[in-house]
Amino acid sequence: MPNVASWLPPALTQMAQRVDSLFYIVLGIVAAFFVIVEVLLITFLIRYRRTRKNRTGKGVHGNNLFEIIWTLVPTVILVFMGVISVKYVYAQQTPPPHPVVIKVTGHMWYWEFQYPNGLDTRNVLDVPAGQPVLFDITSADVIHGFYIPAVRVQQDALPGRQTQFWMQADTKDIGQSFPVPCDQFCGVDHSKMHATMTVLSPSDFQQWEASQLQKQKASSGS
Amino acid sequence: MEAAMRIPARKSFFRDWICTVDHKKIGIMYGVTALFFFLVGGLFALGVRTELWTPYGRFVDSQTYNEFYTMHATVMVFLVIIPLLTGAFGNYLVPLQVGARDMAFPRMNALSYWLYLVSGLTLMIGMFFGMPDAGWTSYPPYSIQSQGPGIDIWVMTVHLAGLASILGSINFIVTIIKMRAPGMTFNRMPLFTWSMFVTAFMQLFATPALAGAVTTLLLDRHFGTVFYTAAQGGDPMLYQHLFWFYSHPAVYIMILPGFGIISEVLPVFARKPIFGYHAIAYSSVAIGFLGFFVWAHHMFVAGMAMSAGIPFMISSLIIAVPTSVKIFNWLATIWGGAVEYEVPMMFASLGFIGSFIIGGFSGVIVANVPLDMALHDTYFVVAHIHYVLFGGSVMTIMAGIFFWFPKVTGRMFHKTWGYVGFWFYFVGTQVTFFPMHLLGLAGMPRRYATYAPEFHLWNQVATIGSYILGVGTIILLVNLMVSAKYGRKVENNPWNARTLEWTVSSPPPEHNFDEIPVVTENPYQPYPDLEPETESAPAGA
Ligand code: HEM
Ligand SMILES: [Cu+2]
Ligand SMILES: [Cu+2]
Repeated sequence: MPNVASWLPPALTQMAQRVDSLFYIVLGIVAAFFVIVEVLLITFLIRYRRTRKNRTGKGVHGNNLFEIIWTLVPTVILVFMGVISVKYVYAQQTPPPHPVVIKVTGHMWYWEFQYPNGLDTRNVLDVPAGQPVLFDITSADVIHGFYIPAVRVQQDALPGRQTQFWMQADTKDIGQSFPVPCDQFCGVDHSKMHATMTVLSPSDFQQWEASQLQKQKASSGS
Repeated sequence: MEAAMRIPARKSFFRDWICTVDHKKIGIMYGVTALFFFLVGGLFALGVRTELWTPYGRFVDSQTYNEFYTMHATVMVFLVIIPLLTGAFGNYLVPLQVGARDMAFPRMNALSYWLYLVSGLTLMIGMFFGMPDAGWTSYPPYSIQSQGPGIDIWVMTVHLAGLASILGSINFIVTIIKMRAPGMTFNRMPLFTWSMFVTAFMQLFATPALAGAVTTLLLDRHFGTVFYTAAQGGDPMLYQHLFWFYSHPAVYIMILPGFGIISEVLPVFARKPIFGYHAIAYSSVAIGFLGFFVWAHHMFVAGMAMSAGIPFMISSLIIAVPTSVKIFNWLATIWGGAVEYEVPMMFASLGFIGSFIIGGFSGVIVANVPLDMALHDTYFVVAHIHYVLFGGSVMTIMAGIFFWFPKVTGRMFHKTWGYVGFWFYFVGTQVTFFPMHLLGLAGMPRRYATYAPEFHLWNQVATIGSYILGVGTIILLVNLMVSAKYGRKVENNPWNARTLEWTVSSPPPEHNFDEIPVVTENPYQPYPDLEPETESAPAGA
């Protein structure tokens, strides 16, 4: 079926691909447990149903060995899941040196982007491919949620506070556009607060930035 | 005590119900009121889902949509799930299960109910003056800027419900510590009562944080304070910390008593002692304790440093351990049993265990900081909360209602319609809430009145599911109402259960026990082999 979104959207960055692999590891583990529990549940319900012959259950009260096993095994697996996630957190948190810094401001109900050369846009987010981009995120009014599904990251935009995340788009995605919705409830038009991110080659990005800035100056009556 | 034992001179609705301090009547009043609100909350949910039938939001405008989902969630959390589990089940069962004649403070118990009713009426009547529109979380600064009286009404509602909860929790703690029958040691206490004991402590310690959060919100709205106004030195994140310091424990308040219900229902229908009594009781205590150390997992992307989420990620993953211990003990209780597929057992086994674990697993996924960076505030979270609250809490509530219905009314519900209702609920839960996982993974944010066209299909499926749940609810509630009046009369212990409430008449006498029982063992003992005759003997009154 065309255009029915049912799974993770395309991953734009390497970091997003790594997050997806983490997701598949965790999903694999929980899916295995899901199958185990459902199979045991349904098997037991059918196998041990009440019949003429099976009129009463076993008189057991418990079993310490089993208790220990099913406490320790999940503990080990869960702690393992936590531990392997830690390095992703630090990778997300630490931007590479010399990123292109784009200032993001949430407004009711649009996103404002300020580029390094002073260009200021509404809902238009263009980023250079192959270079680290750092978003400095804040809000002019209420809390918004700056979310780029293709990058698998979001941070709330808060008044009086700055949050950050970074990304580096793959060069293979040059020319592609991605949705940038607001995902923290921010009032009546929350669901219409929506920017579009387009990936440009670094040279196109520079040209675009410069030409847009000129247009902006011209139209503001210089 | 004296009040509970007094026999009214003359019967009247006013004396019987309005003036009552009998924990059983208060429990029933809680139950009936909360089920009424369940219908109200359900109608709002259907409004939400109807709006989402199309991507463009043609049913109501966005403002009304925001009011609908706020009302839906506020009603469900504060007026349905918590009052049903603690107010209705807790009140009705705890004194009976510990062998007491009433709660420790019967008048305070009545006060809790009336405060709860006033809280609910505040929201219902307030609705005609303005509905809150900031979500059940009501984050500032939006909730400070929101116009009209909606948020103020919301604050009043939450305050009154919170006060009712605090009074109730004190009552449960004192009753359970002080009023247990001779011989009822903690190690012989029924597991539902154990779960209420832990829940009461959580309510007592967590609710004040909520009261603080909403009071400061009100002050900011009307009295010029700036707790949450960044421009003047306030901090909106403070509210979120306070709110989740309450609301994370609150999600366990909304499930622990349900866990207790499951621990009562499974052994009876599997005809076995519960497997791992101590493990189940102590895992509730572990959940109650750990539940206070995970709140910031709701705030991974709310402005904290990403690495500050790590300790909360670890504590949240650890809290899954006591929960999975319970699941395995329940499975082991069914293992080797002689399972009778009665309606309460269907809700407890397939309905609850079969659905709730999906919510547990999605919880493990969103507890992971890097994964939550991607999934927070999307429909994945909506899927998660509904698998725990609908697949979890609501299923346990239905299991409990059908299990204790014969005790409370002295009559049996209509079994065939009970099964029909069960299947509507089971299928409806999966059809409504499973597709929300897919929407969330694909990046659909929550609290959206309109959405991108590629999300259309799964939204339509979810909407169809919600109508299935709506029909199921009508079937279940009509069955209860009709059977309460016309159901077949049953003997005192139709399920052959072992806890103390089943030793007295159905419905129990006003003073519960003619003679306070002396307890010599834990209620979960092996069942003797039944004679086939006993099973097929006609149940008579
Ligand atoms: C027929 C059954 C139900 C349906 C169809 C339904 C549907 C929904 C939908 C679509 C939302 C998301 C609104 C949005 O974000 O745009 C929602 C939110 C919510 N629902 Fe339900 N719901 C149902 C039952 C319940 C029950 C039984 C509870 C019990 C507590 C519940 C608790 C909540 C909560 C707490 C939220 C809001 C979460 C938040 O804002 O953080 N729902 N519901
Ligand atoms: Cu928004
Ligand atoms: Cu939580």
